[in-house]
Amino acid sequence: MIVSDTISLALRNLGQAKLRTTLTTLGVAIGIASLAGMVSLGVGLEEQTVGRFMSSGVFDSVTVLPGQTGGAFGLGGRGRGRGANRDRGTAPPETPRKPLDDAAIAEIAAVPDVKEVYPNIAVPIEVQFEQEQAFATLSGVPLSQRDQGAFQTFAAGTFFADDSTRACILTLEFVRRLTTKAAQALIGQDITIGYAAAAVTPANAAAGMAPPRRVTQSFTIVGIVERPGGALPLAGGNLSGVMIPLEQARPIGAEAIVGRQSILGTPPAAANRTYNSLTIKVRRAAAVPDVQERVKALGFTTFSVQDALENAKRVFVILDIVLGLIGSIALAVSSLGIVNTMVMSILERTREIGIMKAIGGSDADVRGIFLVEASAIGFLGGISGVGLGWLVGRVINFGANWYVRSQQAGGPTDLNLFALPLWLIGGAIGFSILVSLIAGSYPARRAARLDPIQALRHD
Amino acid sequence: MDTHLEARVLKRHYRMGQSLVRALDGVTLDVTQGEFVALLGTSGSGKSTLLNLMAGLDRPTEGTLAVSGRDLAQMSSNELSLHRRSNVGIIFQSFNLISTMTAADNVALSMMFAGVARAAREGRARTLLESVGLGGRQNHRPRELSGGEQQRVAIARALSNTPSLILADEPTGNLDSKTSKEIMALLKALNERDGKTVVMVTHDANLAAAYARRTVTMLDGQIISDSRA
Repeated sequence: MIVSDTISLALRNLGQAKLRTTLTTLGVAIGIASLAGMVSLGVGLEEQTVGRFMSSGVFDSVTVLPGQTGGAFGLGGRGRGRGANRDRGTAPPETPRKPLDDAAIAEIAAVPDVKEVYPNIAVPIEVQFEQEQAFATLSGVPLSQRDQGAFQTFAAGTFFADDSTRACILTLEFVRRLTTKAAQALIGQDITIGYAAAAVTPANAAAGMAPPRRVTQSFTIVGIVERPGGALPLAGGNLSGVMIPLEQARPIGAEAIVGRQSILGTPPAAANRTYNSLTIKVRRAAAVPDVQERVKALGFTTFSVQDALENAKRVFVILDIVLGLIGSIALAVSSLGIVNTMVMSILERTREIGIMKAIGGSDADVRGIFLVEASAIGFLGGISGVGLGWLVGRVINFGANWYVRSQQAGGPTDLNLFALPLWLIGGAIGFSILVSLIAGSYPARRAARLDPIQALRHD
Repeated sequence: MDTHLEARVLKRHYRMGQSLVRALDGVTLDVTQGEFVALLGTSGSGKSTLLNLMAGLDRPTEGTLAVSGRDLAQMSSNELSLHRRSNVGIIFQSFNLISTMTAADNVALSMMFAGVARAAREGRARTLLESVGLGGRQNHRPRELSGGEQQRVAIARALSNTPSLILADEPTGNLDSKTSKEIMALLKALNERDGKTVVMVTHDANLAAAYARRTVTMLDGQIISDSRA
C-alpha cells in the first residue's frame, strides 16, 4: 500500500467521526498547551534571569576578594560543575588571609590571560548639585571600560575623555533622585561631592585612631548612563550613583573612611593600603575558569558571573523538569483519550476492518491506517496546543506586565515570562505525535490482529 | 487442465465452550482450472468453512490446501493477505461493501492495498463497474444502491486485481429471484468468457444444478457426493 493512500484513508476515517476527532484533538491540544506553557514559562524565566546577567556585560570579569581565612565565604559559588573547583570548600583553613594590596595586584596581573587588574574603589559620598543634595556611592572606573557593559548606552553625554579630567558619569536612576532636570541639561554642569577622610598624623596613628574630617571636591558631569546597577554588585557590574576615572578615585579611596576598619584599624598608609575587592578583566570569556583557578592558587577568593550563571542554569534545568512533569499530567490524560477514541473507533469499524483484510489488506496496512490516524490527531493537537499555550502565555504575560506597571511606575514593562523558541515549538509538536503514536499503538495492533472471519460477522 | 485447488485430508476443528466442533473433517478435493464448482450443503455442513480456507481467511487444523501449487497452510499471515489480494476475489452473501465509500472507491480499495496508483485504479474501477452494468452509479454509496447493484459492485471489486479464482459465498442469498439470475449470469460469464475458476457455496440445489458444471455436496464436514453435470 502506498503511504499517501494510507494517509488519505486515515484522514478520511477521522473525517467520518468529526466530533470525536475534534474532541480528542482538543484534549491533546490542552495537554500540549499545558506542557508547552509550563516549559515555556521555565525558559522565559531563565531568559529573564540570564538576560540580566548578560546585560551586565561582565562575562570577561572576575572579582577577587581577600584570601580565605577558613570560614566559608558564601558568595564563592560552591558546587560548580568543574571538578577542580569542587574541593574549594575544604581549602586548608590554615592559609593566612592574603590582603588585596598593590603587591597582590601585581601578582594577579602576571597571571596568563589577565588583561588588566584594577581595584574596586567605592566611597560613600554626599552629592551637592545646585540646591539639591543626595547620598550616593562614588566609584572608580578604568578607562578600559569605554563601550563596555553599561557604558554602551548613554542617556546623555559620553564616556571620560581621559584619566586626568575631573569628570564624572552619573546613573539615570541617581539623576532622578538628585534633580528634576532633564539628563541632557546636566551635561557640563558641576557637582560637588563630600566624603569623610581620616586625618592621619603620627600622633593619632600611634593611638590607633584617626579622627575624620570632611573633604569636598568638584567634578564636571560628562555623561549619564541609562542602565541601573547590574545583577551582581560583587562582579563589578554594579554602577554606583557617581563614577569618576579610576585614577581620580585612587587618592580619594586612599584617604576616605569607607568602613569600620578605616577608623578603628591601623590607619592606612599609602604604601600598604588594601582594597576590599579587585576586578580582573580577562582577555577572553573562555579563559575565565582558568584565570579563576590560577588566582585561587595564589591564595585569593574569586567570583565570576559565569559561576553564578552556571548555578542558575542548573537550577533552571531542575525547574524546567518539574514544570514539564506538571505539564505532562494533562498530556498523559489526553493520551488516554486517544486510546479510548481509537478503541471505540475499532469497535465501530470492526466489520470494515474485516472487509479490508478479506479483500487483501495486510495486518501492516491496517496497523498503518490506525497509526496514521493517531499521529494525525497528535499533529493537529500539537499545533493547536502550541498555539493555545502561546495565547495563554501572552494573556498571562500581559496581565503580569499590567500588574508590574500598576505597582511601580516606570518599572520594567517588557517582562517576558513565556518564551517560545523554535526548538520548543518543534519539540512540542514532535512530542505530541510521539505520545499519540504510543497511545495509538495498542489499538492499532488490536485492529491489525482482528480475525477477518470474526470481524466480518460483526455488526 | 491444471489443478487449481488441491485439498488433502483437510480438517478444521475448533472449540466452542467444552465441545470440539469438527467443521471440516477430512476433505479431499481437486478443482481444475476453469471449473465452476458449487459447494452444496445445509448450514453447518462445512461448505463455508471450506470456502474460507480457500480464501485464506482461515487456517486448517490439519491437512494441506494448495492453490496453484502453493500450500496455504504453510503461509505466513502476510503471504495469506497477498493471496487474498491477488489470487482470489471474494463475493459475500451480505455484499460487505464499506458503507461510507462510493461504489468506485469500494472497487478501488483492493487495488489500493495492491499499491496501484490513484489514476490507474480509478480508471480500472470505472471500467469494471461499467462491465457489470453500473456505468452510471459509480459515485453512489451502498445504501443508495439496490441489493443486486451492491452485489455487482462486490463482483467488480472481486475482479479488480484480476484473480484467477472467484469464491462466492451464497452470492444470491439476499436477492430476489430475478436479480439472482442476473448475478448468476455474471458469474457464469466470468467462468465461461474469462476462464475464471469459480467456487460457489450455496444451499440451493436448483441453483447449483442450473449454473455449476460440478456439484460437491457436503454434510457434517465431509464430502458425501461429487457429481459433474
